[in-house]
Amino acid sequence: MNEALDDWGNECFLTTDGDIAAINLKSARRRSWSRFSQNPLRAGIAELVVELEQLTAQFIGDVCALDRLEALVQELLEADAVSARAAMMQAQLASMAHRFTDARHFLTQAASRGAAQFDLKRLLLSVDQACGVNLDGMLDERRDIARKSGRIEDLVALGALLADLGEFAEADRTYRQALCEYQDVSPFPKAWTCFQLGELWGELVPVPQATRAAQWYERAIQCLPSYTRARVHLAEIYSSSGRTNDAQSLLISAISSSDPEVHWRLSDVLASQGNFVDAEAQMQVAHFGFENALRRHLLAFADHGAEFYAGSGSNCRKALDLARINVANRPTLRAFEQAHAIALSVGDQNAASELFAAATERWSGSAAFRSSPLSQRHSSNRRGATA
Amino acid sequence: MSDHIDGPRQIGDPAADLTDLFAFTSPEHPTRTVFAANVFPTCGPNAIFSNAITHSIVVRRAKVVGLGDSARFETSGPEIRFGVRFDALEKGSSHHKPIQRGTCTFPDGQKLSVVVNDEKGASTPDGRFRAFAGLRSDPFFLSWIIPAFKPFENLLFNDNVLSIVIECDTRRVLDPDKGSLFGVIAETVPLPSGNAFVGHEVLRLDWVGRPEQTNIRLNNPGLARADDIRDLWNQQTPFALAQDVRPLFLQRLKDSLANWDMRDGKQDWTPSALTANANMFLDDYLLFDVAKPITDASHLEIEKSTLNGKAYQTGGGRTVDANVIDILLTWMVNRDREPLQGGTTKATKPGTKTFPYFATPNTELQSVTDRVDLDASPDRVWASIGQFGANWNPLIADIKLIGTGVGQLRVIEMTDGKQIIERLEAIDNSRRFLRYSNVSGIPATDYTGTLAVEPNGTGSSVECRAQFVANGQGTLIVKTIVSTLFKIGLDSLKPRFGTAK
Repeated sequence: MNEALDDWGNECFLTTDGDIAAINLKSARRRSWSRFSQNPLRAGIAELVVELEQLTAQFIGDVCALDRLEALVQELLEADAVSARAAMMQAQLASMAHRFTDARHFLTQAASRGAAQFDLKRLLLSVDQACGVNLDGMLDERRDIARKSGRIEDLVALGALLADLGEFAEADRTYRQALCEYQDVSPFPKAWTCFQLGELWGELVPVPQATRAAQWYERAIQCLPSYTRARVHLAEIYSSSGRTNDAQSLLISAISSSDPEVHWRLSDVLASQGNFVDAEAQMQVAHFGFENALRRHLLAFADHGAEFYAGSGSNCRKALDLARINVANRPTLRAFEQAHAIALSVGDQNAASELFAAATERWSGSAAFRSSPLSQRHSSNRRGATA
Repeated sequence: MSDHIDGPRQIGDPAADLTDLFAFTSPEHPTRTVFAANVFPTCGPNAIFSNAITHSIVVRRAKVVGLGDSARFETSGPEIRFGVRFDALEKGSSHHKPIQRGTCTFPDGQKLSVVVNDEKGASTPDGRFRAFAGLRSDPFFLSWIIPAFKPFENLLFNDNVLSIVIECDTRRVLDPDKGSLFGVIAETVPLPSGNAFVGHEVLRLDWVGRPEQTNIRLNNPGLARADDIRDLWNQQTPFALAQDVRPLFLQRLKDSLANWDMRDGKQDWTPSALTANANMFLDDYLLFDVAKPITDASHLEIEKSTLNGKAYQTGGGRTVDANVIDILLTWMVNRDREPLQGGTTKATKPGTKTFPYFATPNTELQSVTDRVDLDASPDRVWASIGQFGANWNPLIADIKLIGTGVGQLRVIEMTDGKQIIERLEAIDNSRRFLRYSNVSGIPATDYTGTLAVEPNGTGSSVECRAQFVANGQGTLIVKTIVSTLFKIGLDSLKPRFGTAK
């Protein structure tokens, strides 16, 4: 019996076809921009544009959403530089672009200008979670929020926190609870939850379960065919299991997104099929895309860029630099794991040791650290020291 | 790989969100009654109905059972229910948009298929019913800053909505001989998934009766620190509000109406009249009488006359052009002592006198088109300008290509030093046509450009076209940038190929 499919079948309602939802998202986004342009100070309009652009970035893989939001914030500031609202918008954009120090600064500014406590707290929680700050302390708060609201986004945020803390079984239960209790027809939250489950079983658990992860990514794409990140993750699984034609189909359907990772993974797939000419062309586009994205939004793309340059991007030194920038920005256990692995692959023992020491100091007391690859080195070091 | 958790807060499907309900006599055929429900507030072009929802308009026979401060209306079954569901998209033929179909189910069991956005709509063979579904200009207008109670320009100017319009033969469908007064609501209900619906109560996403029950009366911004109870309201069953929550909603309505009464600093409502008004609004359905005239001014007249202790004179209801906000505010603030008027008294576009009665949608996608007729064969011209990397425009200093085929990028260095990056979306050399999008460099979103060369007599025509939504710098500026680029580029072809005679 497939556990993943069990709970899928218990959902109560159909969701809107993913193609329709994507068209409607684009439609609403366009209109919201138009309304914003008419009057940037109109109540709620900047917030609506930000939400719709966030959805577009997250689900459609449109990396230009960040550029558009920068334009929005600039325009808002020109119209109203000193309001709590403008500071909240700046904080949201900074958080979305992983400029977490800036985000905290703008949140402080928004608080001093009288922004609503609920909004401040919600965004601060998100920033803290993204940076791996006080995760244990945050758990009760996340549980409380999820219990009170019962909303899917709060349950998914709780699931993600549990995963960050290494509580994988409970994270899985929380995500599936979110799916079962979902009572709306928008496919975005459902696709997002399935994606989180795919990532949980494919990348976060100590021993990844590719088949189980693939089922969840497939479900995410079934809900929302334009879900670029789900396509990329699933293509990675297909590729690694030799299903390169399936991987290619998945990626070609996503090629109209502006996510450079699509071109990178497609290049890898084409190369594995012996199609080196097209692979090289895709790799050029990927290179251009990553360089462009890193130039404009370094922190937002630092971890993805590090992974690219550590792999087919073939620039390990640059990969290590990016991974360290990412660690400095958001010292999560995963950021340390990535940077440490890249340092080892480059043969930079000093960097690896520094990263290991910093990770140990910050994370060795956590449950998640025990299942981390870093803890194995920690254990072997301790055994070495004892001997 | 990490994916930062910044989840969607805008989780509801806007296509489930009902904006307005209408009930009026057809201006085209006085023997027919029109019901309409709109969804998806402020949707942009290309908006489509959700295929996971049943949209229903539900009518019940009504009667007046009290006058004055004892005013009350009662409704009774059986329900006259019009249901509409929509399908997933069907692929259109080559280069055409996908199409969507809907199925209407009428009170007598007849089913009717409609194609979304087909202006003519569809009719049942017996002529009883006619239906339309599609994008229209939003007829609603709100020309007040409600919290400050100040007239303002129409806040919904240029907005569109998705409209469902159902016209029926009044006599054969509503049978007014059994009583001509009715109450009507519209609701959106999610479709169950397989057998999973068993054991679950019907979940209602949204419903609407009279205008502004939720946003102006229940969620009156003048009530400081009042909880937002709109979601709870939307979960209630129309025509059958749960007894346990009636006191909660009644108290909120009384508080809200008392607040509205004092917005002009004068008390026009006695406590007993205000309670009667609150009780009337608590039973939230739009009243209409098919035996009396329904006009742009008759909205709420049935309720108001009954509360004033008189027999009503009109058919109430709500026409497409009814100024419902001014009617409502005048009633709530000064009990019709003096008319209140917002900043405008018209929607972006007025309704029409012919089916489907709602005006065509507003467009906002800007377009720039330029063309030149040349004295050279299409193939010869295409060979010179039809490659994505071809540099034929004098305003372009250099073009660098990245990648090949669809998805290919061109990095354009302009002579003024600016950089534009474009992506090839489609190319068809046999039809001498290419389409591209803008990645960066032009302050516009959703920018799609096309270049096409077509035969024109013994020569050819070259057409450059761009569609976009201006972003950041204003429409006029972006149009100027694009049209200059096109004009100088196309003009440069004239000396090269000769101008068509």
